[in-house]
This record gives sequence, structure tokens and C-alpha cells, in this order.
Amino acid sequence: MGKSLMIVDDSATMRKIIMRTVRMSGLEFDRTEEAGSGVEALQKLQGGPVDVILCDINMPEMNGTELVKKARELPTCSNTKIVMVSTESAQDLIDQVMHDGADGYITKPFTPEKFQEKLTPLLN
Amino acid sequence: MITTMSLRDSLLDSAKEVFETMAFMALEEVADEQEGPGLENETLLGTITFKGDLEGCLAICCGCRCARTIGANMLGADPDEPMSDNDMSDAIGEVANMVMGALKARIQEEVGTMEVSIPSVVRGRELRNSLGERASKISVMVNLEEEHSVQFSLLYRESQA
Repeated sequence: MGKSLMIVDDSATMRKIIMRTVRMSGLEFDRTEEAGSGVEALQKLQGGPVDVILCDINMPEMNGTELVKKARELPTCSNTKIVMVSTESAQDLIDQVMHDGADGYITKPFTPEKFQEKLTPLLN
Repeated sequence: MITTMSLRDSLLDSAKEVFETMAFMALEEVADEQEGPGLENETLLGTITFKGDLEGCLAICCGCRCARTIGANMLGADPDEPMSDNDMSDAIGEVANMVMGALKARIQEEVGTMEVSIPSVVRGRELRNSLGERASKISVMVNLEEEHSVQFSLLYRESQA
């Protein structure tokens, strides 16, 4: 069965760049969707599960760390893999967000190889 | 405290990393640091502020044609295709965001915790950013693909708190 992907970032340009980089990495998703904020992402996730979420951290309204915590409370997200994609590289922040329920972390700037390295183990 | 020269090198290295990785563009420093992007009158100024033991503002300033080229490269689009003002501004904001992130990763061991804002972008003529009298300023002028001028600047001071 095909996999689904949601990209959550307040920047429309960054969502397109991430989508392009995922395609360049060779990873294939049958269904992709986007959300411009944590609030919008939660609304969409309540409607049905996705396999993978790529999520920014610094966003207005609801940041990525809050989204991870709230998503983990949803029954529809029990098997969802959440990977943070952020410019933040402080190890204590990475440790915290992984503790809160994220499954991986990719720092910006990123390469297609980095997406392949981080996402492939989560998809198998 | 981190030295001006070290900050300057880190800023340039960060900008190179972001442009090479995300926009597939080669970036080369040029000698004249005093003049802003002079190819066009109207420019975009992307800024992002930070606070902590060191506080200040990182800025990227370039002409609209340059911003369109950067955006197109980041999105894998044709630079001659029309690009909305929103997409162009968004691209410059993301560049500021990523350069700040890359810079932070390079210097945070020396300067301690840095809290970074969300980027903002303005468009206009003769745009300048300022942080008051006690601030230090680093300015780096670069050429992108030997065609476009881009100015990076870092205004900073030790925290007053």
C-alpha cells in the first residue's frame, strides 16, 4: 500500500523546496499534503492518518514541538512517523523534541541524501 | 567573547553552505564591502533577529532580479518564469532563516544560548537596518554566479539584560 506524507511549514516556499527535495531523494509517496501551521496540520490529522510528517519547529500560532505533543495524543497518529525539519541545531532542543515524540530530525540546509538517510529506515 | 573576524568568517561560511546546498549557486566574496547591491534600485531586505548573551540582527539584501533567481533556483523553476512577490519574499526570508541557523550552529558554543525570531522581509529603496550606537557591524558583499550582488550583514552587541 502506498505511503502518505504531510509537510508542515509556515513558509509556502519551504514546503515546495522540501517537496522537491523529497522527490530528488528518490522516495515515493502516493499522497502528499501540506499545512501552513501546526493548527492546520492538527485539523487535517484529525480527519485521517498520514504515514510521515515533515515538520518545521519555528512557526507562528503553534510551533512544531507543540504540534508533536498534540499529534501524539491523536488516535490517528499512533503509527505516524514525525521528522522535524528545522534550522535549530542545539542538541538539547533536538533531545527534547525527540523525547516529546518526534522520530527524527533534519537540519536546514539539507540535501536529498539527508532525507533518504533519515526517512528510509522509518518507511520500512 | 567571539571575535569580529571569527564572526565574519562564520557568516561567510554559513552563507556559502546555504547557497551551495539549497540554491545550487556558487558564492564568492567581493572586496568592496561599503556599497550595497547596486545592480537595481529596488531591493529586498530579509532580516532575522536573535537574543541571548549576544543580541542583534542578521540581514540579507539583494535586488529583485537576484531574489527571483535565488527563489527559482531553490524551487527548481525557470528564472525567466514569472514569480509572485510573495514567493520572492518568502525565498529571501528562508535564506535569512537558514543562514542564521547555520551561523548559530557555528558560534553557539562560544556565545551560548541564542533565541532566534521568525524572518521578515521588506521591499523598497535604500533599505538599512540599525541596532543603535553600541552595536558592532559586520558586512560581507558577495557575488552569486558572478552575476548578482548580495550583501549580508550582522549587527550585534552584548546583551544589556
